[in-house]
Amino acid sequence: MAATNQLNVEERPSWGSRSVECFEKLEQIGEGTYGQVYMAREKRTGEIVALKKIRMDNEKEGFPITAIREIKILKKLQHENVIQLKEIVTSPGRETNEQVQPVADAENNKYKGSIYMVFEYMDHDLTGLADRPGLRFTVPQIKCYMKQLLTGLHYCHVNQVLHRDIKGSNLLIDNEGNLKLADFGLARSFSNDINANLTNRVITLWYRPPELLLGATKYGPAVDMWSVGCIFAELLYGKPILPGKNEPEQLNKIFELCGTPDELIWPGVSKIPWYNKFKPTRPMKKRIRELFRHFDRHALDLLEKMLVLDPAQRISAKDALDAEYFWNDPLPCDPKSLPKYESSHEFQTKKKRQQQRQNEEIAKRQKLQHPQQHARLPPIQQSGQSHQQHWNGPGHQMNNNSQMAMTGAPSHHQYGKPRGPPAGPSRYPPGGAGGGGGGGGYYQDRGGQSGGYSNAPFPSQGRGPPPYPGNTAPSNGPRGAAGGYGAPPNYSQSGQYSGRGPNPMGGNRNQQYGWQQ
Amino acid sequence: MAADFWTSSQFKQLLDPEELNVVHPLDKERGITAEDYKLIKFHISNYIVKLAQYIKVRQRVVATAITYMRRVYTRRSMTEYNPRLVAPTCLYLAAKAEESTVQARLLAFYIKKVQSDEKYRCEIKEILEMEMKILEALNYYLVVFHPYRSLTQLLQDAGMSDSTQQTWGLVNDTYKMDLILVHPPHLIALACIYIASVQKDKENTAWFEELRVDMNVVKNIAMEILDFYDSYKLMSDENRISAAMNKLP
Repeated sequence: MAATNQLNVEERPSWGSRSVECFEKLEQIGEGTYGQVYMAREKRTGEIVALKKIRMDNEKEGFPITAIREIKILKKLQHENVIQLKEIVTSPGRETNEQVQPVADAENNKYKGSIYMVFEYMDHDLTGLADRPGLRFTVPQIKCYMKQLLTGLHYCHVNQVLHRDIKGSNLLIDNEGNLKLADFGLARSFSNDINANLTNRVITLWYRPPELLLGATKYGPAVDMWSVGCIFAELLYGKPILPGKNEPEQLNKIFELCGTPDELIWPGVSKIPWYNKFKPTRPMKKRIRELFRHFDRHALDLLEKMLVLDPAQRISAKDALDAEYFWNDPLPCDPKSLPKYESSHEFQTKKKRQQQRQNEEIAKRQKLQHPQQHARLPPIQQSGQSHQQHWNGPGHQMNNNSQMAMTGAPSHHQYGKPRGPPAGPSRYPPGGAGGGGGGGGYYQDRGGQSGGYSNAPFPSQGRGPPPYPGNTAPSNGPRGAAGGYGAPPNYSQSGQYSGRGPNPMGGNRNQQYGWQQ
Repeated sequence: MAADFWTSSQFKQLLDPEELNVVHPLDKERGITAEDYKLIKFHISNYIVKLAQYIKVRQRVVATAITYMRRVYTRRSMTEYNPRLVAPTCLYLAAKAEESTVQARLLAFYIKKVQSDEKYRCEIKEILEMEMKILEALNYYLVVFHPYRSLTQLLQDAGMSDSTQQTWGLVNDTYKMDLILVHPPHLIALACIYIASVQKDKENTAWFEELRVDMNVVKNIAMEILDFYDSYKLMSDENRISAAMNKLP
């Protein structure tokens, strides 16, 4: 067997797939329902890639259709703002020599090998970057990311692909400032044929549009645009704007922000399957402008067009790109002008956030010395609080009713978790993610900070809360704290989670970059 | 825009007709000829169509399945990839790829109904194993561009909407040949429209000229299709088919 694999290592066959042995796995950087994700180095070229394993067990129907969809779509989409699927490799679980039959379990029709998708490696994901303490996006930077997000999404939509899981952790960013859409595991081709019924169990709860929550099975690109609106607001607001714990609460949060729908503003809404079930008990007014009054005028105009309840009236990616927001000063910056991860340390300095930097230095040093003890690393918290006072500004007023998402959840738990991807500064890839910034733990929901991928296209199991609630643990938000612990992610920062361990700044995103005007 | 035919692997890998006549060395050893290839692929295409009628899938799935099968045999031998198993497996995979999933056990069940010959029987696990091999042989390129997409529009534009059914039938028949591996799908569609207009005595020269496509290519494809119809009787001769099939393991 080794011999056959070795044959494959050297040269790339013109047809058929290479063996995964062509790559050296460096570390696991994610774990999803799909399978694990590894950072790996191609042995021959030294190129760093991400390997996403396609789990083949438990498949009575052969190669999973979800993987077929993803592969089909990724092979079809070639765009600078869409992650590139480089190739597909097979593991030596089976013979790579095609003359030998693949090993299959005679009883269960199980296929014993594994298949990996090989992706270009990206250093960060948007949520990870946004969660870095001390990192505050500038307005041109947010515009730059938003523009790339919309450009990539527009490309998907004109090619009749719905992404169906747009969220920060699926937007990967490299050190050149390029943003790429990733994780097409839920994506689907759509035709303009409205007869096709699609599932409404898609899109991570906080980014899920009202029509899906109301049970619509006929929908289109507008679902992705809702998610974009949520991300846009999140970038400006500093934390997720609609962190519902379950579907009814999610809808309610939407209604509180966008008003309650009726036939007047959303023709046909009463015919959506679950409308009567979730029908708002009392009418509420739209409060977007009121709640986000600190956003600049053009940002607010655009956001309002994205967060339109009626999908038919929601702005398209193409029209959003034409919005005043992108054509008024300050203009979106050139991606290449954006700070790289390493230099983002300096970036902070420039912002004269000296206090914070010192904290990070301490955190980093301590982390290096005692990587295992983060869960009990309290000293930095205080400064975290002072930081909070300093930057938090109006954020607190915004917490509609309950405290907002406790995004800085105790990721440090993951260190103790066998499942959790390894973290620690020494393991960072050269030039890769995680260099500065004070070690793991900021990526509360992505289990380790080894890079943008961590939970990116490959939701880490550590996140626990189901992305598509309704099936389990309704109390958990979709990007909640270290899952598996059942930690409700949206709880306030008080209580048992106040000890935020490795995150010296405190975990609330709001603290981290506060308000953008 | 890259997700179109012109940037697809289907376009980049369009083959020369000569390339399709190359018999895999392993098949050569068994005495299988280029003519046998044609016959077997023709027979297997018909088999896929019949299976598809039982499991009730769209024509598009059938067309994709046959294309997969034809793509497989440009790179793999029939000796290793038994066409009797490749046929249902391609249908199985195409059904997934075209979002009309069919259960493997249903397929195994209908195989028995369609083909009484024992040699066609297969276990579910054989289908699943072959699926992996086919995916690999196809290099995971699962998207197929078909002539159907452009057909309706072109017919409308040519003022030939009344010939839709006839032209559609012609396009279906092109899958009994390797045309989809050799020509861009819109040219196949045009060739079928060309044949339909000649048969209807409809004067369409001006319309074709305005399209600014190479009419020689279109006419050549049309000739190939007509040649195929001429040889249809010979192709579907049971004895010849079974003689070719019997060379397989």
